Amino acid sequence: MSKKIRLDRRKDIPPIAISLESTLSIKTGTWRYFSPLHKNKIPPCNHECPIGQDVRGFIELITKEKFGRALDLIRKDNPFAGVTGRVCYHPCESVCNREYFDGYVSIGALERAASDFGSDKKKKAIKDKKKKVAILGGGPAGLACAYHLRLMGYQVTVFEALPVLGGMLRIGIPDYRLPKNVLDKEISAIIDMGIEVRTDTRIGVDITMKELEKRYDAVFIATGAQLNKKLDIPGEELEKVVSGLKYLEDINLKRSVDVGEKAVIIGGGNTAFDSARSIVRAGSKATIIYRRTLDQMPAYIEEVEQGIEEEVEILYLTIPIKITENGNNRLDVECIKAELGKVDASGRRRPVPVSGSNFIIEADTVISAIGEDADLSYIPDKIKCRRGLICADENGVSSCVTIFAGGDIVEQPRTVAHAIGSGKKGALAIDRAFKKKIKETSQEELPVVEFESLNPDYFEEQKRTETPILTPLKRIRDNQEVKQGLKKDMAVKEALRCFSCGVCDHCENCLIFCPDLAVLKDVKGCKVLYDYCKGCGICMLECPRGVITMEKESAE
Amino acid sequence: MKKVIIGNHAVSYGVMLSRTQVIAAYPITPQTEVVEKLTELCSNNKKVKLLKVESEHSAMAACIGASMTGVRTFTATSSQGLALMHEVLHWAAGARLPIVMINVNRAMAAPWTLWADQNDSLSQRDTGWLQFYCESNQEVLDTIIQAFKISEEILLPSMVCLDGFFLSHTSEPVDIPLKKEVDAFLPKYKPKYQIDTDDPHAFGGVAGVDYYFEIRYQMQEAMEKGKSVIRKTGKDFKKVFGREYGLVEEYRCADAETILVTSGMIAGTLRVMVDEYRKKGKKIGMLKIRTFRPFPVEEVRRVLKKAKKVAVIDRNISFGHSGIFFQEVKAAMYNQDRSKRPPIFGFITGLGGRDVTPDIIYEIIDHTSLHSEPKSDIIWVGLKK
Repeated sequence: MSKKIRLDRRKDIPPIAISLESTLSIKTGTWRYFSPLHKNKIPPCNHECPIGQDVRGFIELITKEKFGRALDLIRKDNPFAGVTGRVCYHPCESVCNREYFDGYVSIGALERAASDFGSDKKKKAIKDKKKKVAILGGGPAGLACAYHLRLMGYQVTVFEALPVLGGMLRIGIPDYRLPKNVLDKEISAIIDMGIEVRTDTRIGVDITMKELEKRYDAVFIATGAQLNKKLDIPGEELEKVVSGLKYLEDINLKRSVDVGEKAVIIGGGNTAFDSARSIVRAGSKATIIYRRTLDQMPAYIEEVEQGIEEEVEILYLTIPIKITENGNNRLDVECIKAELGKVDASGRRRPVPVSGSNFIIEADTVISAIGEDADLSYIPDKIKCRRGLICADENGVSSCVTIFAGGDIVEQPRTVAHAIGSGKKGALAIDRAFKKKIKETSQEELPVVEFESLNPDYFEEQKRTETPILTPLKRIRDNQEVKQGLKKDMAVKEALRCFSCGVCDHCENCLIFCPDLAVLKDVKGCKVLYDYCKGCGICMLECPRGVITMEKESAE
Repeated sequence: MKKVIIGNHAVSYGVMLSRTQVIAAYPITPQTEVVEKLTELCSNNKKVKLLKVESEHSAMAACIGASMTGVRTFTATSSQGLALMHEVLHWAAGARLPIVMINVNRAMAAPWTLWADQNDSLSQRDTGWLQFYCESNQEVLDTIIQAFKISEEILLPSMVCLDGFFLSHTSEPVDIPLKKEVDAFLPKYKPKYQIDTDDPHAFGGVAGVDYYFEIRYQMQEAMEKGKSVIRKTGKDFKKVFGREYGLVEEYRCADAETILVTSGMIAGTLRVMVDEYRKKGKKIGMLKIRTFRPFPVEEVRRVLKKAKKVAVIDRNISFGHSGIFFQEVKAAMYNQDRSKRPPIFGFITGLGGRDVTPDIIYEIIDHTSLHSEPKSDIIWVGLKK
């Protein structure tokens, strides 16, 4: 409290009305009911990423052309930036707040740019811990788990039934979507951390679970789902009726396969489309038959669109009922047309056959791709399973404390990102189990930023930088990667579209707009001087990215 | 260097030579060329900020804000624009901000007019601004440089007036001083009070019954001090530039029996007329009042007390009374010995830009010599019968 000043002599009175004392003595902060607080929130992309990547963070680094640091940041969570940059379906993009403004940010393309232009740093030597972990399955879930465990110093052995690592990434995804050299590079970077690999080792055949449990302190099961679902129609057993996965495996492992002039593919998922598009590239005709309609197809729309461009024929509302060999040494696929009936358990309208609409398609090969089941034959009884999958909690902990599971063998969406994410979570759960920590260290739950809390007045409209795509002619002829990467300058331009939702990027709007000069800048960024802040909230309104929140003053 | 330029451009050169830092102005006829030329002269000059504003009120408000931060500040206006500024004119003076502005004298509407008389600036008489009335383009340029110096010393704003079209749009040879000479004469403004974010104070807050009176007293004190500052500044200016200006200019007054009193560009016509009368042996002199505020009471008394008759020529009118300079001169003469109070004739002429020709001046001088004393406070000259 300042003392009262009284000026009785004329000569002491200043010629203008000016406060004799500095106004710093007027602590206007006492007028405040609400306090602005600079507090970073969770951007929706980060929140949605099944791997838990700092999406916004790596995009910010790309805006500064720091591709290497962006890649390092991705690799904190995900050793497969080149893979996910290409084949992840990018749930992050579907929640991007920029969609409500002028279209989502091409996050996938930026992730790929980070892996294209960022060079790997030499990893520091890892200090070995005593505990050993067996990883069953060398796919994305198993390798991600191995990567994270190894980062923490545990000794890891990966068991893989096939002669090569990569799992579905290698055998399930064709070259035109994911070139093998990209995959090889990322896998060898993981293995080079000092991970023991046993290929051609099938669990239950070459080694038993019992042995593994004896020799290792923990086991992470990530053997995926490779058993083709049965069509349950006559003729399924014929020699020229093959599974989609088998076909893709043969193609990807460069085994010779001949599907003849024309193949019929049964199913509407990614395996069906990957098979059909590979067949087109091998010079044959491909017809997909699917019993429902386009909007119910589980395949990614991008795959469907590109397949149609490549002249893959799609017959919707078509149910195969019988496959027979005909006199021309070809197959007759008898189908019946369907119409959509009531909604079934999957939430989709059930296809109902229309009687008398039978027709026959002739083909040289039939590929069945209606889904895959997990092989649980080697899983010991003590591990609880349900509906053909291992029961595990969200961290991959099974009913047995030393056994963990992830990837397609547990109940979760069958995507690359979910597989990698479950590998990471599994590794963290194993680490906690070793350290006898029961729970995750609880962190304050920060809110996810919604578009409404942003101030879009500060953003300029800027169309999305489209990823260059090869023409259908070119991509079929050369079997080259369909999606080309962004060039460096394109990537930076696209990264600059990021709103940086909920994370301060030091734009200083709060400092500029504060009518009381009660925001100061220091090395760490802007901060509020609570002695002078009246709590007017202008800083919150003018913050473009919803960083500032107004919190009610606690009554003292 | 001498250039033949219009009065408005003389203003612009004066402003630039004074190293003005912030200019906020809104164009109005007949002032527009001031702003146009300034825009041109400022275009590549990072040391000046020229603000485009949406009205004259905003122009003055912007000048007040800028001046409070301690920079040299200028604006230019005329007539209705000046009237719109009225509210903030009080503020600028009351906050003791040494803003300099030019007002190109233009008669007030209605009816609409663009031509000169002094009613616009004289209406602002009591706002606390210094007022200078110029006779030539040279005097305009010189007065701007001086006005900054005077204002910054006594902390009151200055209004420099020039007659619309008669000066603003008339080309005359003007000696444009050298930059370094002006710099030496008018150093950088060092404000006594200014906004400083490192030492924040409240400005222009409430001064209740305890202090307002004293603050007003100090304003009047500053005005009074202004007189000696103006005289000294005029003398200092002469030392560098060879031209001297005071509160008034006496022209052949020493032995004059009749003294004509006027202001602004009419003085230029009078000067020639006085010479003509002198050639005929008539003892006529002229007293040009250059500074209307502060009013040069001492000079007026000293010069006029020896005259037998005084004639004040006003290009303005205070409706319901008489010419404004006439009233001021009369008032200045009153509180002294009766012997020092010659009869004072008040002539009103040239309103709304009507030309004040030699014939008008003949008529004024004839009238003054024919009558022993004025029969009324207003004698209209050049009015249609």
